[in-house]
Amino acid sequence: MAEASTKTPHCTPRADIGCVDVLPQVRLCGVSKRFGRVLASDDISLSIMPGRIKALLGENGAGKSTLMSMLAGRFRPDAGHIEVAGAVVDFDSPRQAIAAGIGMVYQHFMLVENMSVAENVLLGQEGGFALNPARMRATVDALSRRFGLGIDARARVGDLSMGERQRVEILKLLYRESKVLIFDEPTAVLTPPEAESLFAALRSMSAQGKAIVFISHKLEEVLSVADEIAILRRGRIEGEFLASEVQSPAELARRMVGRDVVLDIPREPVQPGRVVLDVRGLSGNGLGDVNLSLRQGEILAVVGVAGNGQQQLVETICGLARPEAGTVELLGHVWDEFYKHRDWDGALAWVPEDRAGLATCRTLDLTDNLLLTTREGFTRGVWLDRARARAAARDIVREHNVQPGRIGLQAWQLSGGNLQKFVLGRELSRRPRLLVAEQPTQGLDIPATEAVWQRLLDARKSTGVLLVTGDLSEALALADRVAVLFRGRVLGQFPVTDTAQVERIGALMAGLEGGAL
Amino acid sequence: MNLTVRKREESLGWGVLVVYLGALALAFGVCALLLTLAGKPGLGGMLILFRGAFGQGYSLLDSLTKAVPIFLCALGVALSFRMQIWNIGAEGQFALGAVGGAWAALTFAGLPGIVLLPLVFLCAMTCGAAWGLIPAVLKLRLGVSEVITSLMLNYIGALLLEFLVFGIWRDPGSFGFPMTAEFSSGAQIARIAPGVLGKLHWGVLACPLAGVAYALFLSRTRLGFELMACGEGERVARYAQLPYGFLVLLVLGLGGALAGLAGSIESSATLGRLQPTMLMGYGYTAIVVAWLARLKPWPIAFTAYLLASFRVGVEVLQLELQVPAAFGSIMEGAILLFVIAGQFFLSYSVSLAHPVVAQAKGARP
Repeated sequence: MAEASTKTPHCTPRADIGCVDVLPQVRLCGVSKRFGRVLASDDISLSIMPGRIKALLGENGAGKSTLMSMLAGRFRPDAGHIEVAGAVVDFDSPRQAIAAGIGMVYQHFMLVENMSVAENVLLGQEGGFALNPARMRATVDALSRRFGLGIDARARVGDLSMGERQRVEILKLLYRESKVLIFDEPTAVLTPPEAESLFAALRSMSAQGKAIVFISHKLEEVLSVADEIAILRRGRIEGEFLASEVQSPAELARRMVGRDVVLDIPREPVQPGRVVLDVRGLSGNGLGDVNLSLRQGEILAVVGVAGNGQQQLVETICGLARPEAGTVELLGHVWDEFYKHRDWDGALAWVPEDRAGLATCRTLDLTDNLLLTTREGFTRGVWLDRARARAAARDIVREHNVQPGRIGLQAWQLSGGNLQKFVLGRELSRRPRLLVAEQPTQGLDIPATEAVWQRLLDARKSTGVLLVTGDLSEALALADRVAVLFRGRVLGQFPVTDTAQVERIGALMAGLEGGAL
Repeated sequence: MNLTVRKREESLGWGVLVVYLGALALAFGVCALLLTLAGKPGLGGMLILFRGAFGQGYSLLDSLTKAVPIFLCALGVALSFRMQIWNIGAEGQFALGAVGGAWAALTFAGLPGIVLLPLVFLCAMTCGAAWGLIPAVLKLRLGVSEVITSLMLNYIGALLLEFLVFGIWRDPGSFGFPMTAEFSSGAQIARIAPGVLGKLHWGVLACPLAGVAYALFLSRTRLGFELMACGEGERVARYAQLPYGFLVLLVLGLGGALAGLAGSIESSATLGRLQPTMLMGYGYTAIVVAWLARLKPWPIAFTAYLLASFRVGVEVLQLELQVPAAFGSIMEGAILLFVIAGQFFLSYSVSLAHPVVAQAKGARP
């Protein structure tokens, strides 16, 4: 600690951010944290002010989670210190951080589905042996009203949408009288309208004096909700701005990645070829009368909030589930026939959403992970030609700029973005005529996202791409046509050039239009 | 005082040896303690055991002979463990192999060895494989856990063997002992050098052959790769369109064939006939071996030999201190538990929380 106090100048990186006359709720002073050879946080100083929303913007791996985990008591800094309301603290556990008024809403909710909202909020906080359900409900309802969260304390959590569950998590923190609320990528699980109402709740909380920290890599939402923006890059604070100083998302992105990002990548039309996928009246297994058709040279985006039938649709198309009703034709063959004589090469390739658990095996090296879907191409008799596979893996690593480029590494040793580039490279090496890409850039940083997008656009020349995504900007940037999936049904299907329809996508995704409700 | 546990980023190097030796030492410590509790000399007992296991050239050769069936069975179960199929039925497959081999040996007793022995092996492997395939088919068709079925088939297999030697196959000249007639010379595996190398027989050659085949199969063939990939989980298998069902049949069939071969070698070489005393629990020891050796061929060979030596040592201990035969199983169990607990320290490091570095170098499980 003595060492940290000599670094006092770092404690106030920008005096004009926040109000100098107000004591910060939390202050990070020259905080560093190292994991092995990686410096995840490098001498970070940050003030979190009551009544303000601070966005922490950074790519994946920039050190956002490490920083907030130190604040939430999960790690202890190697150097520097944390102050809460002016007093130096040293958290041993998340429990102590919560006691000090710092709470975190994680991406994965920790709720008991069979319990009511009130019960979830008070779980572990009952403060006595006897419970008073009426008073529990009244307390939680009052909190919900005060911060405009609109949650009924009696509702069963299992019946709530993801957005509502998130607000239950917020209620838990508010009940514990947290003064700092940290949100880790809170909009990842929300529909656009739900995200809007989350933002309203954030503003309401900050208006009532709570300090909010909002972690994200989505530029637009950071700009729409934050008062202050801190950009984190490679473990360092790259810059701190007031939201009003920022001119455009592109400028912010440039600061975040340190170079210009082509968020709007050029897309030249490709002449559509033959039909590679024809889905007619596909029903059952959670799907209802789905009709889709995809030609070579096209990208068809299937958008929707996760859990509305995307998985079932993909599993049917990719051969894991037989269609119950309706027909699926792949490359001109009906489903049964196609999967009876499945070709590994020149047919269908699939980039699944779960790249670490499904598309690859964690403990196999890159060569073996290449062989996972291409092994037929490296077989001679009963033998496997590993030497040729290694050469092919090396080619993919080079061509797709997978870092670090050693094929002897095991899948888990690669970052998400590099693993995804490898998976995409592997699947494209099968020269597919139909490519199914599920959430191909989820959790990827901007350069990796760009690389994946470029590959998908290039692949169009020989392939029809079915892009299943929850990221609307991705769909609009890449696709020729968009189909909106809600509760297993396609509510709308239109070209991206149809601006009137595109405007409705948010409402369709939430099932507010299209005759679903 | 808080302990923090962290995943190791680099492998332990020579520390691995420390972990394994430490685990073995602790297992022997527990065994010595048990001996003491039973009123026998603890340390002295362990010394007798070691002398019995490694003391003389005779015991080394005896261990090698006993390691043959253990090694073959261990390769068989390791194959299925590779894809997370828990075949614990090697004992039953071993018994069925011996039965199949005995059938050929008794039925075609007049044939010369060059024809009869391969026939014996073929029948043994077929019967062992068939016994292994029962759990496979039940698993694939009805979703029955192979753990239960393969275990239960061990008892059925042993009883079937007894049924035959107590009944229709009993040698009329055996004075009522449950055993078949001695196999004809064509159905017996010769000893390599009776005066010099004790009971060591030519069947030992099956071990390097099977070991090399196992290693080549896993590292060089497409099926071997598919099997390994299947071991990573059924979801991956489905994604990569791996032939999961076929592989389940294959590993249980091959595992059964290897155990069956071991059974016929045991009856054709060591005993020269079929009798129930041949079921010494090699098939269970094989599971311990496969697991301790982490399914790798060289470590399987080494561990099979080691556990065979301990069996020899325990036999001496039984004679000299009158400890019950179950002591051998207790010792195997203790070794398995301590080594598996010790393997935790290969992947994780444990240190005291606050003092900056207090790395317990993984020596103490």
